[in-house]
Amino acid sequence: MVGILVCQIVLSIILAAIFLVRPSLTTGRAWKIVAFIGLCVLPALCIVGGMNTHMQRSEQAKFCTSCHAMENYGKSLYLNDPKYIPAQHFQNHRVPPDMACYACHTDYTIYGPLKDKLKGLTRIYMQYVSTPPNPITIPGGFKNAQCLHCHAGARDFEENPVHSAMMSTLTSNQLSCISSGCHDSAHDASQVDHLKMWSPGQ
Amino acid sequence: MKLSQIGIQRLLRIASVLVILGLGLEIISLLWFHPLSFVLFAFVAASLIGLGILVYLASLVFAVSPLGENRG
Repeated sequence: MVGILVCQIVLSIILAAIFLVRPSLTTGRAWKIVAFIGLCVLPALCIVGGMNTHMQRSEQAKFCTSCHAMENYGKSLYLNDPKYIPAQHFQNHRVPPDMACYACHTDYTIYGPLKDKLKGLTRIYMQYVSTPPNPITIPGGFKNAQCLHCHAGARDFEENPVHSAMMSTLTSNQLSCISSGCHDSAHDASQVDHLKMWSPGQ
Repeated sequence: MKLSQIGIQRLLRIASVLVILGLGLEIISLLWFHPLSFVLFAFVAASLIGLGILVYLASLVFAVSPLGENRG
């Protein structure tokens, strides 16, 4: 997919270079059409293709952990203790491992990816212009909807007597899955260097 | 060569430079795996390409105008 986009960009650059060197070519009818394609249609498609590629790329876990502040959060996925919810999900492929961050932290709504991108931009602004919060917090807290996106309807979740007894408070987000003493071991990023790690294939 | 044609050709050259610069930066942003690569793409590359397209469309407006005047 990226290969096609790069070919499109290169073709567009070649056409633009032709009109940079010989703009007088556009006096001919056929070259007018080529100029329209090379200076309007293809560059517009390149913007759309580039945006799509960047959006898809930012769903990858290695993209999230490429930011220095996120390194320890990435490491915490390898904690060798099943009580840590992100590590347990990542290591047992309960979420796609290459999209582990996105799977649990995206906003599952129509404009969710766009909202996530805007949130990501504010974090970049904090990192490079203002001061990033320490520890890093999720604005508005972690919503149960992100857990329920997969767990709602799952047999072992629905048939669990603890879950079924409080289902309405869980769906209405009155009781948080991760901060009510039930599943409260998340990333523990500050302690990650002192905890036992799992290495794949050990 | 008419004065308007020189103006159109200058606009085409400017459009070409902007599009080439924007696309070059887009390639760099695609090769650079870092959160800032999106910022480079969205705020610099896409803006340059968009501006290039606008300048090209402006050159089309200039190209049409003198012809209209001749017909009149």
